[in-house]
Amino acid sequence: MLIEHSAYANRWRRVSPAAKGIFTLCGFVGTFAAATPAAALSVAAVLCAVTVLGAGIPPERYLRVAAPALLFLTVSCLSLAVSLRIGNTVEDLSLQLARTEFHRVVQVCGRSLGGLAALLFLAMTTPLTDIIALLRRLRAPEVLLDIMILCYRTLFVFSEAVRDTITAQSARLGYATVRLSLRSLGGLVANITVQVWQRSHALHVAAMARNNDGPLRFLEKTSPKSTRDICIAAGGGIVLIALALVIS
Amino acid sequence: MKLQTINHILELKDVSFRYPDGSVGLDHCSLSIKRGSRTTLLGANGAGKTTLFLHLNGILRPESGTVVSGGIPLGYSRQGLNTLRSRVGLVFQNPDSQLFSASVREDVSFGPVNLGLEPQTVRERVEEALKSVGMTDCADKPVHNLSYGQKKRVCIAGVLAMRPEVMILDEPMAGLDVAMQAELTMILDRFHAEGMTIIIASHDMDFAYQWSDSIAVMVKGGCKATWDVKSIPDVLEQLAAHGLGIPKVAEIHQFLISNGFPDKEGPSPRSHQDLMRKLAAVLTCRT
Repeated sequence: MLIEHSAYANRWRRVSPAAKGIFTLCGFVGTFAAATPAAALSVAAVLCAVTVLGAGIPPERYLRVAAPALLFLTVSCLSLAVSLRIGNTVEDLSLQLARTEFHRVVQVCGRSLGGLAALLFLAMTTPLTDIIALLRRLRAPEVLLDIMILCYRTLFVFSEAVRDTITAQSARLGYATVRLSLRSLGGLVANITVQVWQRSHALHVAAMARNNDGPLRFLEKTSPKSTRDICIAAGGGIVLIALALVIS
Repeated sequence: MKLQTINHILELKDVSFRYPDGSVGLDHCSLSIKRGSRTTLLGANGAGKTTLFLHLNGILRPESGTVVSGGIPLGYSRQGLNTLRSRVGLVFQNPDSQLFSASVREDVSFGPVNLGLEPQTVRERVEEALKSVGMTDCADKPVHNLSYGQKKRVCIAGVLAMRPEVMILDEPMAGLDVAMQAELTMILDRFHAEGMTIIIASHDMDFAYQWSDSIAVMVKGGCKATWDVKSIPDVLEQLAAHGLGIPKVAEIHQFLISNGFPDKEGPSPRSHQDLMRKLAAVLTCRT
């Protein structure tokens, strides 16, 4: 919901999704072109600054969205950096920080942060409907797009259904004890499973009622300032790649 | 006879349908819808109103009997169904069952795009439909941030953008507050004034009496009766026998007349405003 809220309420909401896509792509290219950890971290820092200062995303919200990925990255990097050494006896069991691996770990960490910053830039400045429209223009497979559309739409329908069901269960002491909680949780899963089936059938019927006979097709969005936005984004992206190469 | 058939834009002739679990959907149901009319289908839950609507849109196919559109029995070929569904729009009761895209404008474009129209034509129709239901300001909002009433309007716009001759609305007033009901009634009145045939399902007898041109009653899958709304005051007992209640305004008006209220001429009041006007006129005469 934090990503969703940011995507609809940022300064660059009306900027062409193609332009934001190009800048994101340049961010990825810059990150992977960075030969040193410092270069990769610099690209990540620029992308982060552009998202927070340029698009006007509040820093706290940015950190909250990034936190799960950062946690995952920390655990992954630690597991890469530290190796478990087993000797002949139990006493010989030790953790070892491999000096030779350290540089590689920092490099992977820097590139991962750059990739994360590039993804967050796109996700937090562009609503998913715009991203789907962009993918459609890029001729992404229709089945994939249909699944994205339905998943995105039903995500909110079912989160509402889950919330309503939990409220109804709680109102009747459904989560008063651990045993009751487990029972209620089972009931919730069963209820939502049935609803998924019923609602998917209802959506199928609704699609047929509006003359649909296959892929879900919609009117493509147009952005009047698209060319200008794309030129600016491409320029910014080239600067980002150049920065990565220069620092390397 | 031929003229009468053409005057009826949709007809069900002795249609029966059973669901795969064996439950009766429609039971020898016959119904005729006049072109340009406003028809309310009244019936209890499970009476078969939605099943009937799905037949009128070609989603369900009758086991026996015929669905007639514009005087021609419905063909269930892909071309036949496409033609029918472009003429007969169906708005479902639950907006979340109808809205596909998370973008309002995209969802409204779904029907016209399926009709194979040019992008510019689709764009014009989408804007026109959104304006018609007063949702232009919300066109760029995500669907999940809309209120229930706004979602219903988007559903109507999605059907309206296909420019159907007939609009069918399944329980359109369900879940709406009084102000939204009034707004929706105004929108429907405008569509009717533009020549659209409108069919709605409802439980609300008072609304049906006030708004419709004709009222059809469904009981256990059967279309039991259809009345012109002007004849409703004369059939109150028959209406009550179906267990759906009778219009309160008609009941009060009958009570007043039977107790000496001097109003035996002119049309019967169909809303409480009509009744109040009649009462005010009589009281003014007396003073």
